[in-house]
Amino acid sequence: MNLLGPFYNMKIGVVDLSASSAKVIPLDQEQVSSYLGGAAMNGAILAGYETDTLVFGTGPLTGSFAPASSLMIASFVSPMFKRLCHVPLMLRTGPDMKFSGVDYLAVKGTAPEQSVLHVNHGKVRILPAGNLAHLSVPEAIIELKKVSSPFQSVILTGPAAERGSPYASLSISTNGSLDKTGLAFLMAAKNLKGIMLGGTDGLSFNTDNPDQGKELEKIISTDKNFKRKGFYSVLKNLEGGKDAAKSLKADRKKDMACYHCPSPCMTHVRYSWRDPRNKETPNSEEGLLLLDHTGCIALAKKVGKNILPILRACLHCGLDPVAIAEMLPQGQTLPDYLNAVDKIVSDNPPCTTGLSQRQCLFGGGIPSIVTGDLMEKRVALAMLLGICPIFLLRFPQITDAALLSFISTREEDLKHLQESLSSAIASLLSAQFS
Amino acid sequence: MAEQDFSLNLDDLRPRPAEKKRFSEYFMPRRHSFIIFHPDRCTGCGACEMICSTRNTEKVAPVSASVKVVRDEKEGKNFSILCQHCRKPLCLPACPTRAIEKGDDGIVRIDKLFCTECGLCTMACPAAAPIKDPGSQEIHKCDLCEGDPLCVKQCPENALTFTRGKAVRWIKGLRWTSQLMSFLLLVMVFIGTFCYFRTGNVNFACPTGTLQNIASSGTIVLVGVSSALALLILTVLAGRLFCGWVCPFGFVLDVVDKITPKKIGWPSFLKSRMTKYGVLAGAVGGSYALGFQVFCTVCPIGTLCRAYGVQSFFRSAELAIVPALASLEIGERRSWCRYFCPVGAVLGLTALLRMIKIVIGAKRCKKFSCIQCAEVCPVGIIDADKLREGLSPKIPMTECIMCMRCIDRCPYDAAKIRFRWQKATPGEVRI
Repeated sequence: MNLLGPFYNMKIGVVDLSASSAKVIPLDQEQVSSYLGGAAMNGAILAGYETDTLVFGTGPLTGSFAPASSLMIASFVSPMFKRLCHVPLMLRTGPDMKFSGVDYLAVKGTAPEQSVLHVNHGKVRILPAGNLAHLSVPEAIIELKKVSSPFQSVILTGPAAERGSPYASLSISTNGSLDKTGLAFLMAAKNLKGIMLGGTDGLSFNTDNPDQGKELEKIISTDKNFKRKGFYSVLKNLEGGKDAAKSLKADRKKDMACYHCPSPCMTHVRYSWRDPRNKETPNSEEGLLLLDHTGCIALAKKVGKNILPILRACLHCGLDPVAIAEMLPQGQTLPDYLNAVDKIVSDNPPCTTGLSQRQCLFGGGIPSIVTGDLMEKRVALAMLLGICPIFLLRFPQITDAALLSFISTREEDLKHLQESLSSAIASLLSAQFS
Repeated sequence: MAEQDFSLNLDDLRPRPAEKKRFSEYFMPRRHSFIIFHPDRCTGCGACEMICSTRNTEKVAPVSASVKVVRDEKEGKNFSILCQHCRKPLCLPACPTRAIEKGDDGIVRIDKLFCTECGLCTMACPAAAPIKDPGSQEIHKCDLCEGDPLCVKQCPENALTFTRGKAVRWIKGLRWTSQLMSFLLLVMVFIGTFCYFRTGNVNFACPTGTLQNIASSGTIVLVGVSSALALLILTVLAGRLFCGWVCPFGFVLDVVDKITPKKIGWPSFLKSRMTKYGVLAGAVGGSYALGFQVFCTVCPIGTLCRAYGVQSFFRSAELAIVPALASLEIGERRSWCRYFCPVGAVLGLTALLRMIKIVIGAKRCKKFSCIQCAEVCPVGIIDADKLREGLSPKIPMTECIMCMRCIDRCPYDAAKIRFRWQKATPGEVRI
């Protein structure tokens, strides 16, 4: 019996950008049973294609009633680190991918012209996107919305990636992401501007007990972390986070959550500012969704209270704040910093983000909420099942068994699933697919 | 012989239920069940959409849900598109097949059997609450899960709360008690005390009567002026509370209104709220010219209060003015108070110095889907059109009689009393 059947569309979209062809083929059931899904499955799919292939995938619990089931995982061989990396993409990308009728997406080759992919109703289409060239991320999204193909979620590269910047970072809508290992660079190298996810279908999952997620929520509701919601609460518990939180002063804050997450770790901030380089511009109110803890800590160390306008500049250009922080000088004024960011986008100076090979396995952007082996195991678990890794790191009392019970509550099934999960985690951490 | 027409039309097939108020509803309001959305609590996780879609389609498909969370990335705000089960739903008359019905329980439902998925209800609803499924093209609309909404249970932040409306309207009870007690005291016990009352050093006088007295006698008596201040000070402190809670003629008008709920309306040329200031000027001018208090002879409040007990109450000929003016109630509620009452005019002018105000449109206000405050306002000063546009109406406190019906009726607790200098608060709910 295929336990994971209700959790997948059992479809993989294969896109050959060189040949401008896209097809959807059935997923190998045996492969799914042995790898469960997520990063491990991505790795297995990647092994069957050329090394420059990009694989976007979901876990079995992505989009389900499990808490924080928001994850989509992008797997690729990092052009900077020359090794396999799995980047977590949160917000609503994972569920929207599944609700578009495709579980995995393998993108190979290079498009002759800049393109975007549109996934919906179990089909993948390649659309021309020449008009998006050199547009900032918010501008590109406005342009995309004019296209007749509606979408629920979009992932996009910015102008920095188009210019071949190795420290470009992918943007989920206008909000940036935890990509610090060259995913955006690789997409831009393939002339792939972004992926639009229609998300208008659905998936049955095991909807017999929709209260199961609520029951799990009750367990974690006694945890002190559960009440400490929002970006700032998580940030303050990280090394250097307290100083960063002090720098991130905003006029208005509102906690925001990814798909089905009961304990949000993001905060939308509003602040007023005026571009100091142009004295004629009036004061304006800006909004930013803070989701990159490591990026904020790195940037706050360098630029202090100027962090919000610089972070905004990074997100508009699609740049990784950690890499930008490495390159910016200390003790400058805001106009100097903004000019420096513009110069980085145009000049592409060499830089290292200081990520270790170990850190870059999962994109390098997941905050170190716990340390050592536990961190890796929890993140691997999240990346396999399609649960937000930050959520699982914050709530270690959520066990593997509790998550697997969303797939099946039968004891023998659970035993089988646990075995598959253990071996998948082990192989993921040993990175044998690289 | 003419051929008989046996064809059936929509009225034969699905007749519209008659809009009839039950007798019990005059005493206990019909409960209005709905879900309140708290935008400040919502994190946009979409748990509501998930659970709702499973009920609609037996699969997790957020786009097929009857509730939709709209996320404004720039502003960092979340809004919900959710049926408010309006008291007078606009989707209902818009449906060409009459597939939408409002049940006795107040829940607006779509009968899938008759729905042709034309989407006219979506266009008619100001909140676009009937949602067209982009996949199946079906129309989904909240039916409150038949009184036990799942989305409310699933929301981790309690951003959705289910209410069955207010069972008891305590302000209504208090007001009626106050009006009745005032009527009994002023008309039956302390007879004639409204126009002028003196006990020891305490004086009380009707401010309009005092103005006429000054005009007719040509002298200003300080005791007379100070005795008129009591009502004026009350008005400065609490607005025209006298009109809504104390005035015995206002009580008579409210009773008549209960007897004649259907109104014929007045032609627009009669509906000038400035008329009462004209009546006041006429009363003062007439008193000056004729040398006696002209309006006091026909003042319905004074007439009632001067009726000298139960026996005289029925005998007194001057009391004929009371039913005569009360009959204006067939046109509009509190017609006398709105357009003619000079006592109200004096209090209205005093209310320019008021310390309090009523604001409608705090963050919770659903405006276009409710409009109950505008419907219950006896002096018709709440602009329903503004509410339909999603804007907070400005309440002219010179006209407001402080009956607080709007506060009592509002199911969302969006109508509030605020100090005049307080910021108007109402955060607009822009959809």
